[in-house]
Amino acid sequence: MALTRRQFLTLAGGSATGAIIFAACGVPEEEQYVQGPLQMPEDMVSGLSNWYATLCRSCATSEGLVVRVMEGRAKKIEGNVDYPINRGKHSARCEAGLQALYHPDRIRGPLVRTGERGTGQYEEISWTDAIGRLTYQLEQLRDVRNQSAAVLITEPTGAHMGAVVDRFVARYRGRHMTYEALEQTNLRRAVKQVFNEDRLPDFDIDNAGYVLSFGSDFLNTWVSPVRYGRGYGNFRQGDRERGTLVQAESRFSMTAANADEWLYVRPGQEGLLALSMAHVIVADGLARPGSVEELTGGDPSILDQYAPELVEARTGAPAVKVRRIAHDFAAAGNGLAIGGGSAGAHSNGLSNLTAIYSLNHLVGAFGRDGGVIPNPGPPVEGLWGPPEAATYDEWQELIAEMKQGEVQVLMVRGANPMYGLPNASGFRDASYDVPFIFSFSGFMDDTTAMSDLILPEHNYLEDWGSDIPTAGPGHQMVGFQQPVVRPFFEGRGEHLGTRNFGDILMTIAQGLELDLELEADTFKDFLQNGARQLFALDRGSVRAGAFQEFWHGVLQRGGWWDVNAKAMPALAELPALPEPQEPEFDTDDRFRFNLIPFASTSLGEGPGAYLPWLQATPDPVTTATWQTWVEINLEVAKDMDISEGDVVRVTSANGSLEALAYPHPGVSPDVVSIPIGQGHTAGGRYADGRGANVLSIISPSVKDSETGALAWAATRVNIEKTGEWIRLPKFENTVPYRPADEHREVIQLTRFDS
Amino acid sequence: MIPGDFQINKPPLKKLLGFGLLGLVGLGGLVVAVLVGIFVISAWFGRPVIFGYDEGPDQPIAFPHTTHVQDLGMDCTFCHRNAAKDAAATVPATGLCLTCHMTVGDGLAEVEKLRDYGERGEPINWVRVHRLPDHVQFVHEAHIRFFSERDNISASETCSTCHGDVGSMEKVRQVRSLKMSDCVDCHREYEAPTDCTTCHY
Repeated sequence: MALTRRQFLTLAGGSATGAIIFAACGVPEEEQYVQGPLQMPEDMVSGLSNWYATLCRSCATSEGLVVRVMEGRAKKIEGNVDYPINRGKHSARCEAGLQALYHPDRIRGPLVRTGERGTGQYEEISWTDAIGRLTYQLEQLRDVRNQSAAVLITEPTGAHMGAVVDRFVARYRGRHMTYEALEQTNLRRAVKQVFNEDRLPDFDIDNAGYVLSFGSDFLNTWVSPVRYGRGYGNFRQGDRERGTLVQAESRFSMTAANADEWLYVRPGQEGLLALSMAHVIVADGLARPGSVEELTGGDPSILDQYAPELVEARTGAPAVKVRRIAHDFAAAGNGLAIGGGSAGAHSNGLSNLTAIYSLNHLVGAFGRDGGVIPNPGPPVEGLWGPPEAATYDEWQELIAEMKQGEVQVLMVRGANPMYGLPNASGFRDASYDVPFIFSFSGFMDDTTAMSDLILPEHNYLEDWGSDIPTAGPGHQMVGFQQPVVRPFFEGRGEHLGTRNFGDILMTIAQGLELDLELEADTFKDFLQNGARQLFALDRGSVRAGAFQEFWHGVLQRGGWWDVNAKAMPALAELPALPEPQEPEFDTDDRFRFNLIPFASTSLGEGPGAYLPWLQATPDPVTTATWQTWVEINLEVAKDMDISEGDVVRVTSANGSLEALAYPHPGVSPDVVSIPIGQGHTAGGRYADGRGANVLSIISPSVKDSETGALAWAATRVNIEKTGEWIRLPKFENTVPYRPADEHREVIQLTRFDS
Repeated sequence: MIPGDFQINKPPLKKLLGFGLLGLVGLGGLVVAVLVGIFVISAWFGRPVIFGYDEGPDQPIAFPHTTHVQDLGMDCTFCHRNAAKDAAATVPATGLCLTCHMTVGDGLAEVEKLRDYGERGEPINWVRVHRLPDHVQFVHEAHIRFFSERDNISASETCSTCHGDVGSMEKVRQVRSLKMSDCVDCHREYEAPTDCTTCHY
């Protein structure tokens, strides 16, 4: 029988349909089996979730978390209600910790470079081999008594991990440098000068009535945003009168957007503005008795030269407004002055911050509820918070040494100096003169991609740790971090996968026959020994009859703290007010705009860029996502014929970058701001080559005249159109707005001339 | 035309199409019937049993419930740890078996197999004996709680209500039909809810 075309098609179609129906009705292959687990933890009940308390290590200040874990998989991150810093709140960056854990581009085991440096060609080796190679290099240096040629760069590392790092470096006689993207050196020094405190204090925004903030974007990214955000909630909507917030800043930040009043101040003049407010407070007779004499060295008339009317032209802040705000601030009786961010990032940064924080003495805010609360020392000896980061001066010295070949081994943990140090500083170029760069990062970043050997550490959800916050809650506390899941790459065996950084250092120390005197075989044991010391204190949030109970209690609550162990504010004499200094900028008037970089809400100073959830989190002011944009004044943009989405080239004396324009009525005509966080040369599939890195064009020549900190807000730039246009990905105005009626706009932006 | 003569009328087009359609429907029906038949037969003899039950399947390791339950007197919930806590009764982890079998049972072929699985770190794929269709939800915990509270007996004594005397089975097999009528009969007997959403949610 000859098969016609029609018959053939009918048969083929029929049998295909039959096969599909038949297959769909059957039981799927995997349902025919019940797979038995290899090991089953006692507390694992399939279908029920467990919550474990731990710490978030993705921000500068660790927040207490509870993580929902189901069948050994972390599913959701929430804030720990008990934890003194965040009390149940948490930030988007913590929330995205799950993506860091499950990221497809995580480093799965030790890697050794096979191609040219920076080409990203790596080959997997075993842990024994990797640690052996690092140990060998350190041994070579020790043999020629040149240990100082080995430099360990870490993120600010305190508490127990800090102790391990310190002992390792001290016993080996190497060098240790702490890296912070936007260094807080000026802030720490100002706190030391004004309050004689070695630790950053807690700002009790909760109980303040009038908060005057200079440049510190404290609701967004500054120091401990979740703690301040929580305080801000009580400040605005607590069970007492609504507090007033005034933000004096050169750019319209998220905190400025939330403030009752945004007071524009010319970049670098924040200190002068603060002194001018001091003048008003003293002139109006609102200063705390006795404080004026001490602050002014017995002669209050020296403040007269800062009268708002006299300095109006320099500060750019209208005198009438300054008088009103200063008066209200002092008259409120529970005022609090905070300063930081761009205010401390000028050549006169320290002097600015000193002037700002001195306002607290005028209104008696030091040590008072709703004021500046000093933090006590650590509960046990040898345990401290993250140390002060190296200043830019010290980095420049290191770079010079690297160029001269005096640095043989560079070890980097948790820090990304290739990204954060300005291109013009020459760190990247100098790194080619360092024979060996080792990275302990569990993820590819700009610095890790330039290293010769990668010894990846665990993700923080898989790891042990502890934390003493940079800015504590005003009483003693130690946060404890425990693994909530088994290490993701554990199944690859003990020779591959990731490890705890402390354990890596301890293994290297063993190879070098250094005695770290830790009395522990693993970092977990060391941490447990540390908990034993707290147990012996027999006070605070967790007390128990036996250590095992105490240990479980500490892990269950996420840490140990003693709300009664406070610091006594002790100041024999108030320090004198600083002389205001004129800020310096890197170039003359050829460059038209002051460039003020700011840390991105979600990406921070860069480390969050590899997580798509954070990339997609809109900036609170512009609602922009996934991009780098340039905030530029609306009128100026109109004059330059720049509209939103135009690709503009931002040129400084030290380089240029391209980003999308965002004309914005909240930006002063002589200022442009660009968020930090994008523009990584290596950072996984979601960050690679996305946007531009504003830190790369910062001028390395302007530093604080006293501390040597980088003045990252003192660069001047020019802007030009490139002719390209890309739609700025943002939430705002993506749907047409609907006013309540035809006589009203949704939001009216008007110029405010007091 | 001669009267009485008959002429074969060409059937009208409409009628012709009607016949054709009838034929196609018939043919289609036959195909569907055959497919349904194949499905029913395959389901009947296939695993896990949906429409009937027989002697129980061969398992990757011929685990003798008789030895463990009858001879050693172990509780059901010793191995099926989550039965009284959870929706699924769960099979024990290899690690749990090896707690004893690291030392017990040297030379027994099946124990060696178990140790091999443990050494390789490979999970054991037990063949499922009891399976309900996807649209049915069954929670062990609620049923065990009901029977053990009602009769004041331990969780392990309630299992036989549905699973039969597993302790005496060389190979575990299904003893009840586990069809909807089976469920509903029992629910009626003990005045348990018989709303659709009790099981179908």
